[in-house]
Amino acid sequence: MANSLRLYLTCIRNTLEAALCLQNFPCQEVERHNKPEVELKTSPELLLNPVLICRNEAEKCLIETSINSLRISLKVKQADELENILTKKFLRFLSMRAEAFQVLRRKPVQGYDISFLITNYHCEDMQKQKLIEFIVQFMEDIDKEISELKLSVNTRGRLVATEFLKQFI
Amino acid sequence: MACFERVSPALREILTRIHRAERPLEVDHHVHEFGSVHYHVKHSVTDPVYTYLSVSTPLLSSQGLPISSHLPQHTLEMVNGIFPGVMEALVPPNEGYQLTLKLDISRIPRDGKASTKMISDIASVQSALVSTQLKEILRNVESREVGYGIYKPIKLMYHPREPFFVVKQPAKTTAIFPMRFKEKEDVIIATAFFQELMDVGSSEAFRKAPHCIWSPIPPAELRGEPIEDLSTNGGFLSFDITLRHVQGKKLEKTVWSLLNVYTFVKWHVKSSRGFVQRRMRMRLDKLVQPLHDVGNEEGDDHRETRKKTKKVDGGCTNVRKWMRVSKKKILGRNLELGNKMKRIRSRIKIHCFSRLRRKWLRMPKFSPVTRYMKLE
Repeated sequence: MANSLRLYLTCIRNTLEAALCLQNFPCQEVERHNKPEVELKTSPELLLNPVLICRNEAEKCLIETSINSLRISLKVKQADELENILTKKFLRFLSMRAEAFQVLRRKPVQGYDISFLITNYHCEDMQKQKLIEFIVQFMEDIDKEISELKLSVNTRGRLVATEFLKQFI
Repeated sequence: MACFERVSPALREILTRIHRAERPLEVDHHVHEFGSVHYHVKHSVTDPVYTYLSVSTPLLSSQGLPISSHLPQHTLEMVNGIFPGVMEALVPPNEGYQLTLKLDISRIPRDGKASTKMISDIASVQSALVSTQLKEILRNVESREVGYGIYKPIKLMYHPREPFFVVKQPAKTTAIFPMRFKEKEDVIIATAFFQELMDVGSSEAFRKAPHCIWSPIPPAELRGEPIEDLSTNGGFLSFDITLRHVQGKKLEKTVWSLLNVYTFVKWHVKSSRGFVQRRMRMRLDKLVQPLHDVGNEEGDDHRETRKKTKKVDGGCTNVRKWMRVSKKKILGRNLELGNKMKRIRSRIKIHCFSRLRRKWLRMPKFSPVTRYMKLE
């Protein structure tokens, strides 16, 4: 793993460990409702300061915390147009299947490629450390998958081009 | 893929069936194929010797106009020359078709390989027609010199909205294909493919292949062409065809490959998109697995604690169960007893008596003294 990536992921892990202290908090506005406060943002006293962690201009991570929920938004690096469309396709594919991931948001926050929403209920059902490990592992897997997809598409194009030109020889 | 094959698979199957049939068959098939190609096969029981094959295909048009609605004489001669005794082009062809062939199926040999080859050659008559046209254009084009030694390009159309240009030059002929795609993703995948094509074409192994160039802007040879032909989103793909590529048997392959460039590129883009989709589906399970493991670990922990509490409370629950069962039984017995006593008391059953009893034989209600009247 590159040094800068390791530092970036360590910073995110430490921030999540500090931020993932969630508790049940019913809605102050509406009786008998329990909503993730980080999404509503109606009560400023329930929100913590958002943390923006940037690896470089293209890659960043925004962590917004509230008393009962946490939102993590990721911007994945896209070096060229091919990576751009592959990232868009892949993350949109995952977002459409958000129910399989439980903590994934169906629509990313504006300006980012993918978002997670973790509530106190998730923390009750799952271990905090494992959740953090999952998020960090997900980030690594996404980067690896995009790179592999790009390589596969280029390799495939090369093979097809070879077959096409063989007809002329 | 069927669109790249010269031989029409449906036509081959029909002709083979007619050829191998023990008794004459009544056949009247219309076959529509990729590229707006239309075949009509007719074989009658009353005329079992001959089979009639009509072909309608989009002809190569030059400068937006069809070369001719009928095939030129030398093309008909070429077709007649393929299998002289077996195949004959009828003049004039059937209405709506460019070519009508009279086939004498009985002259096709009965043994396996020769008959298969002959039927395949007959079924590839459409590709022969279109290839002949392009060969004729490449051979007989009158190059008009314009000023500085740039030869005027000839615009050809095999499929509508997909024109390409042929520019004849002293040492070579350049085929230029303007690329257009409907979606931005297709443009990006195709651009990656064109770059790989250039890369492979410039390698040592493919020294003999036509030199291939892709550029996002129109090449110099197309200067002066109408703007609607030069506005593309996929750039321009050019092949330099030299004498080496059109000598002898290579001419057929080269011409067929040039005619199918657009189809080939679109097929590659479509396959790449399908490949990406399949791969994403495969990866989805792997990405979700760690979260399910987290959930399962938690579930296992809960199940273990529940099992432990069950063992400790085992005795109490059993007692509770026993108590529950006994209560139920007791209540049931009481109910039965009550019903039995009622039955004993009222042995004589009078129809509708219960209703009568309810209406007339009501016990007066004595309301308890709860209200007090104020004495004035």
